[in-house]
Amino acid sequence: MKRRPAPRPLSSLLVALTLAGTASCSDKPQTAKPGGAEARRIEVVDADSTKVDLTVPVHRVVSLVPSATQTLDALGARSLLVGRTDFDTATWSADIPSVGGGLHPSVETIVSLHPDLVILFGGRQDPQTPTRLDELGIPHIAIRPDRIADVKRSVEILGRVTGHLERADSLVSSMDRELAAVRTEVTGLPHPRVAYVLGGQPPWVAGPGTYIDELIGIAGGINVFADLDRLYAPVSPEQLVARRPDVVLLPPGATFDRTLVPGARVETVNGDLERPGPDVAEQARGLARLIHGSEHS
Amino acid sequence: MKRLSVGSGLVVALLAAVVLGVRFGSVPLSTHDVISVLLGGGDATQRTIVLSIRMPRTLLGVFVGGGLALAGATFQALLRNPLAEPYILGISGGASVGAVLVIALGLAGTSSALLPLAAFCGALLAIVLVFRVATSTGRSMDVRVLLLAGVVVAAFFSACIAFILSMSRARTVQSAVLWIMGSLAGAEWRNVVVVATYTVPAAAVLMGLARPLNLMAVGEETAHYLGTDVERVKRIALGIAALITAAGVAVAGVIGFVGLVVPHAVRLVVGSDHRTLLPFSFLAGAAFLTLADVLARMALAPTEVPIGVITAFVGVPIFLVLLRRSLGTAT
Repeated sequence: MKRRPAPRPLSSLLVALTLAGTASCSDKPQTAKPGGAEARRIEVVDADSTKVDLTVPVHRVVSLVPSATQTLDALGARSLLVGRTDFDTATWSADIPSVGGGLHPSVETIVSLHPDLVILFGGRQDPQTPTRLDELGIPHIAIRPDRIADVKRSVEILGRVTGHLERADSLVSSMDRELAAVRTEVTGLPHPRVAYVLGGQPPWVAGPGTYIDELIGIAGGINVFADLDRLYAPVSPEQLVARRPDVVLLPPGATFDRTLVPGARVETVNGDLERPGPDVAEQARGLARLIHGSEHS
Repeated sequence: MKRLSVGSGLVVALLAAVVLGVRFGSVPLSTHDVISVLLGGGDATQRTIVLSIRMPRTLLGVFVGGGLALAGATFQALLRNPLAEPYILGISGGASVGAVLVIALGLAGTSSALLPLAAFCGALLAIVLVFRVATSTGRSMDVRVLLLAGVVVAAFFSACIAFILSMSRARTVQSAVLWIMGSLAGAEWRNVVVVATYTVPAAAVLMGLARPLNLMAVGEETAHYLGTDVERVKRIALGIAALITAAGVAVAGVIGFVGLVVPHAVRLVVGSDHRTLLPFSFLAGAAFLTLADVLARMALAPTEVPIGVITAFVGVPIFLVLLRRSLGTAT
């Protein structure tokens, strides 16, 4: 895997000091960079319910959350992105340096990119990175990409901090409109019984409260594992036999014993189905086509 | 006749475990349903559940559990080390590298035979590496060198796994870690046939070596003076125990505890004569793993608990009781 050369310790220290300096004296209004709106301080409540004071609009963003990277793109804010992760696969971001994975990224690389905002995964799965960014005086907010409501929330938050408020509003309302349209399209169609199997032995399936479960519902299907007590869980293979799904959805490359469901259609879905982004409505429409098969055109 | 009663007790326990394994699973079927399926009736769903899921799974538990316990007893005798277990020579590490590589490359979904095959090849690679190192020092195989080589090879393989996983997506990491935790859920008749064709003849050969193993457990020199072809016994027995382990780990992942503790438990009850220790370990390991798998399916149904969790949670208390009792009688 390609990694950028790490900055020398001295220069990263200097960067840290500079950033700490700008952070402490940024209470007074600053003139924005050319082309941007007037800089001002706002308070953002992020996905972890942390109140973050930010100088907006931001100009240099490192996104550790692939879904947030997509959202920046949808907001027309590509040019603000200065750092991404190894998991951002879109062609437009290919030339932007990567800071490694979304959890436990290379903090050195982040520092070398001089961001004025780092977008982190919500849920405190990696408490180390935010603590170190705090020490370095680099502002950060947490974004949760788990469900459709989270995506809308992320669009709003990112719209505010990038100064693309109107764009964010129209994006959210078009998402709502499109999702409603998908729901309307599938009313009157039968409700196929659907299982989403992530693979593995015993097979892991998606339960209630997952993004997949939400999408299956919108697309007019019934998740046969809607009674699980967890988001994802390994179930006995005989459960797949007994619950008789009409359609089994698999992510690309998943292992699955098709003999368990002799009557069912087994479909491989686009890998992005586990990654909710601003294109939720498109994903819901694609899923509706998949689970209703030929009955739905 | 303590041996006879313990032996028949183990046979009964194994039969009971097999019956329970076919009778119970996470989908509630009545005894009547199960019996009617076995007599050729039942609906399609019931037939699939009993004949294609529960039966192969139960038999896989018998062969893998028995094989691991047998391999553990053999390793403990030959390496003269109470901590020896089937995975001690890096076999589980090699198998895991093979499996994790297939999962990380996204090939696991292409064929259900690929993952076990890759795991088996990894295990064979580990065995060849360790045996080459152990025999490279001279004409005889030094078990201390063998142990050290196993530890080093295992460390190398865990580094490989850590490297592959650190380069992978979260979902890959999850399925890889789950594979490593071990499960009998992947049981297909084909796996059962493959494992049985390995395990049954291998078990027969090992049990035929019980007398020389008794001597070897005392010391290689003693065994040599008493007319044992030490090198030959060592190579055959170690090689076969390693192959049994490789076959088991390939189809069921890394299931800990059975191979380490079952032979010790049997030894605490019937003593360390390998003519009884080996067959009894096989029976006890088979019954134990099969029962543990029933619990793994039932405890939190429809969710499955990793079988290694059950083997440790159930096995540790039983083992501690046996240990206490044997210490009590010794003093």
